[in-house]
Amino acid sequence: MSWSWFHKLGSPKWFFQWSKKWAPPVFCLGVLGIVVGTAWGLAFAPKDYLQGNVFRIIYLHVPSAILAESCYLSLGIAGFVFLVWQMKMAPIFIKAMAPIGAVMAAIALFSGSIWGKPTWGTWWVWDARLTSVLVLFMLYMGIIAIQNALDDRVLADKAAAVICVVGVINLPIIKYSVVWWNTLHQPATFSFMKKPDMPEVMWMPLLICVVSFYLFVAGLVIWRMQTEILRREHRASWLKTEVVGDGI
Amino acid sequence: MTYFSYFKAECLVLFRRKQNLVNALLFFALVIVLFPLGVDPSKAFLAPAAGGIIWCAAALATVISLESMFKEDYADGSLEQLLVSGLSISWLVLLKVLVHWLGMIIPLLLLTPIFSEMLFLPDGVLGVLMTTLLLGTPGLFLIGSIGASLTVSLRQGALLMLLLILPFYFPIIIFSTSAIQAVASGLPYSGLLAIIGAISLLALVMSPLMTPICLKASVR
Amino acid sequence: MQSNISLTISDLWIERGDRDLCKGFSLTATSGDIIHILGDNGAGKSSLFKTLFGLVSPVEGEVQLNGEDVLSYRDPLLKQSLYISHALGLKSVFTVLENIRWYFPKVSEADIARVLSLLKIEGYLDVPIKALSAGQTRRVALARLWLSDLPVWFLDEPFSALDMVSIQLLEGRIREHAEQGGIVFFTSHQPVTLLSPRRVELTA
Repeated sequence: MSWSWFHKLGSPKWFFQWSKKWAPPVFCLGVLGIVVGTAWGLAFAPKDYLQGNVFRIIYLHVPSAILAESCYLSLGIAGFVFLVWQMKMAPIFIKAMAPIGAVMAAIALFSGSIWGKPTWGTWWVWDARLTSVLVLFMLYMGIIAIQNALDDRVLADKAAAVICVVGVINLPIIKYSVVWWNTLHQPATFSFMKKPDMPEVMWMPLLICVVSFYLFVAGLVIWRMQTEILRREHRASWLKTEVVGDGI
Repeated sequence: MTYFSYFKAECLVLFRRKQNLVNALLFFALVIVLFPLGVDPSKAFLAPAAGGIIWCAAALATVISLESMFKEDYADGSLEQLLVSGLSISWLVLLKVLVHWLGMIIPLLLLTPIFSEMLFLPDGVLGVLMTTLLLGTPGLFLIGSIGASLTVSLRQGALLMLLLILPFYFPIIIFSTSAIQAVASGLPYSGLLAIIGAISLLALVMSPLMTPICLKASVR
Repeated sequence: MQSNISLTISDLWIERGDRDLCKGFSLTATSGDIIHILGDNGAGKSSLFKTLFGLVSPVEGEVQLNGEDVLSYRDPLLKQSLYISHALGLKSVFTVLENIRWYFPKVSEADIARVLSLLKIEGYLDVPIKALSAGQTRRVALARLWLSDLPVWFLDEPFSALDMVSIQLLEGRIREHAEQGGIVFFTSHQPVTLLSPRRVELTA
């Protein structure tokens, strides 16, 4: 297997040029998918026989909750890559991704709370999954806070990477501890192993929503990374030609 | 410089700066006092909550006391000297954590019976509470050292360190209070103690790997 | 002390923030060399030292000690070198003796007394560092130069806050160390009087 893609990915120049091609289609496809998925889910999918129309918030809640966790996993991997291989793009990725992950966790919390009011009769319960998303949100805020607190860029990058790695190692433990501590939440909607219990017309739009959320976040993070590259590499000559070539 | 001379120096610093330790213990006591004052002084509330209150106070006091762990070394240049000494910085970090932990855990274990009496901790639970403290606080200190190294170059780092580190304390606090509740209701608890010990062991692996990275990046 | 020792820096490129501190910096030092590193404030003299110790990662370049790469594995260099930086690395809660004992647990009481009297701080053995003046504190830190047997010295502004007598004493010690086969790198804004070091300018 050739590792050249790995080294290419580490170069801001290569990434910048590659991402110019890929960010718009990925982002647009994501937006389109979200529109289709939510419209289908909100307007056309059948009502849940127990929860009624309330269940439709699932089309926002589940994708954001899945993304909140996936984003953190990606931060952990990026942190590890940075600490081990000193790859230049990794801290750029962390910087770009952390706020998106925080927003996803916040959406998951809010939508879950709105869902909880009619179904459980309360805005908030100290249930395992809610609590672990809350903790996840705090971990994201910690990463953002340390990046803003440290003025020295090299130090801020290292510190954020360390927190990401420590976080990703601890996340299963935190999750397990809260699950063990208390559980009230319904089991996971999707699992890789078995077919969902929901009818197809209900889970199809959900699947579309989840996939489009991934694409949407991918597009967004690539754009944010481009901005960060512009900020960091402003002295590089390739960037000048690139920017002048774009007529900016 | 040798590991032993460093260890001796650390002990001496801790002794000369004992006021810091006293402050942390006073903070521990004050957090505990907040609960009867702020919530409910009745035995009905305090007795089941006592273990949790003591654990939360211990976790907060640990973060507060560890925040300045590397600060003085950073300011007077000895951190730089440690990094260029040719000794393994991971071992030096572990030695420092050991000294700080010993300095804190001994008075903490002496104070715990007094406070558990004041909080009406049920009979027969004290031993398990002490065991969880003994097993769990190394984890708190080791994870805390990572946080301390992250914020070493900041003048006001305590709040940020609380934000960064406290989420990682949740599992230790949860399992410790669960063990205390389990023993109070007559359930088996040895598995929980094993988990607490395992988390501390994991921290023992992580801290010497992560703390030097942040320390090196801070001294530049 | 090892008599033949050589430190080779080739094509070193260090940047700080968005600024190049030095680019294509090369230097070879062998036993007996005294090297005065010159440069304006912020030219990167301290960063050069910190790069050699692995506290700052260079963009490019190689550093070899006796032909062995020490940028990726720094222990051989760290075990051979003594570094005195701006921050002196003295604990303010310790006495003079405790500070010296921390660095040199095995050196005899008589040697410490001899060096301290040479530096005119013999009466302060049990005085806490925080009670000393800036110049006296500096001399306590510099006592390490007489007590240590490490061959490669990196001295960052060793002459600041010292009186004339102490400066001459220190220059004498640097020369003596070089004659014994050591290598000394130092930075200084003042010109030195007794020494005739190799002067190396640090420019971007």
